[in-house]
Amino acid sequence: MHLTQELELFPEHRVTLLLFKEVKNAAELRKSAMEGKINGALINPTMLVDPFQVLVAANKAVHLQKIEKMKTRNLYSEIIFNLSPTNNISEAFKRFGISDGDDSVMVVVVHNKDESQLLTDIVAKVDGRQVSVEDISSLSDSAKIKKLYKVTPQEEKCGTLLDAVVCRMATKDVL
Amino acid sequence: MAQEKGTAVPALLSKAELLKQGAEARVYRAEFLGKPAIVKERFPKRYRHPVLDEKLTHRRTVQEVRSILRCRKAGISAPVVYFVDYTSHCIFLEEIVGSSTVRDHIVSTQQSCKDQELERLAQRMGQILARMHDEDVIHGDLTTSNMLLRRGVKDEESDLVLIDFGLSYISALPEDKGVDLYVLEKAFLSTHPNTEALFQKLLKSYTASSKKSSAVIKKLDEVRLRGRKRSMVG
Ligand SMILES: Nc1ncnc2c1ncn2[C@@H]1O[C@H](COP(=O)(O)O)[C@@H](O)[C@H]1O
Repeated sequence: MHLTQELELFPEHRVTLLLFKEVKNAAELRKSAMEGKINGALINPTMLVDPFQVLVAANKAVHLQKIEKMKTRNLYSEIIFNLSPTNNISEAFKRFGISDGDDSVMVVVVHNKDESQLLTDIVAKVDGRQVSVEDISSLSDSAKIKKLYKVTPQEEKCGTLLDAVVCRMATKDVL
Repeated sequence: MAQEKGTAVPALLSKAELLKQGAEARVYRAEFLGKPAIVKERFPKRYRHPVLDEKLTHRRTVQEVRSILRCRKAGISAPVVYFVDYTSHCIFLEEIVGSSTVRDHIVSTQQSCKDQELERLAQRMGQILARMHDEDVIHGDLTTSNMLLRRGVKDEESDLVLIDFGLSYISALPEDKGVDLYVLEKAFLSTHPNTEALFQKLLKSYTASSKKSSAVIKKLDEVRLRGRKRSMVG
């Protein structure tokens, strides 16, 4: 169901993605996250093309944390910020964070090798149905994604939408 | 110099496969978030003042990723940028898996005398360079080794991918574009003997594809003349 990826650059770290549908307590989850009671980033899956997009954001967040150059308050807000094509923090949260009415949510957890308790805790907090992370493509709104990342039709000829999105995320600090 | 505190990239590279040791950069193959990746590392030049060196290296790294993005936005294939570390000056790029350089392809095709195939390739190169120049991207180091052929899916023509934008910059000047073509011409003709006619095909296709080609070709002619004069004197 969930997906765990080792960060090659930070071998002591793993990133785990969990996807939930039919979520009924998004408002409560968002409140808990803001109070720091959830050890994870809560993301609106309609803006996601592929799990790789989230892994790229998480890797960059861990990197910036290590070199003490994060733009936001903590690792989880940094992951959300890194997904955005712009450097506007409040806009990033509006687009990529969950809103109170959302009925699906992607949870991103950064952890070390021993993960099981962390993941059990998250699953217990979400009132919803956990589905395979690969189902993300059925939730993504590609028209909205293309508009936000300003992906041109020409660009899609030389690569996928995921390619276009990842390229912008990786280079946004110098554009 | 003390190791940049915090960045984990050097530790990864110490275990990665070194593909190429250049004068400005090293190129490695490594895995990135489970995908095959190429890492380009610019290292300090000890003969330069450290502050100046840092500035130049940073600028080159920035220019490289900007040019890649600009090309991709215009539909010109270049590797996807996965991650950039501005402290160790490393760029993580998509590995074009199963590709060969245009250089190797021309060498092996020449041997089997498939002239038509080479002509088609030269035409495509001309078209792509015309599009790149129309976007005002100057590659800075055009050679047949800096172009990869990605095997196409099914019967589709294989995709031409431009790499190594390490010396690239943005300019609208016909002179800069002319010099870019001149660099390619020199490299092309010295790497691939007896290809003057083939390179003319490339230029013809460039001329037909670019809206601004006449000024560029004029500059190319001027640069050639200058190059020849210089070599006669020297
Ligand atoms: N993105 C890439 N995918 C596959 N091979 C690459 C890539 N970038 C560089 N290479 C290989 O590494 C060599 C040196 O890279 P470069 O210094 O960028 O020209 C090239 O001639 C290619 O054979």
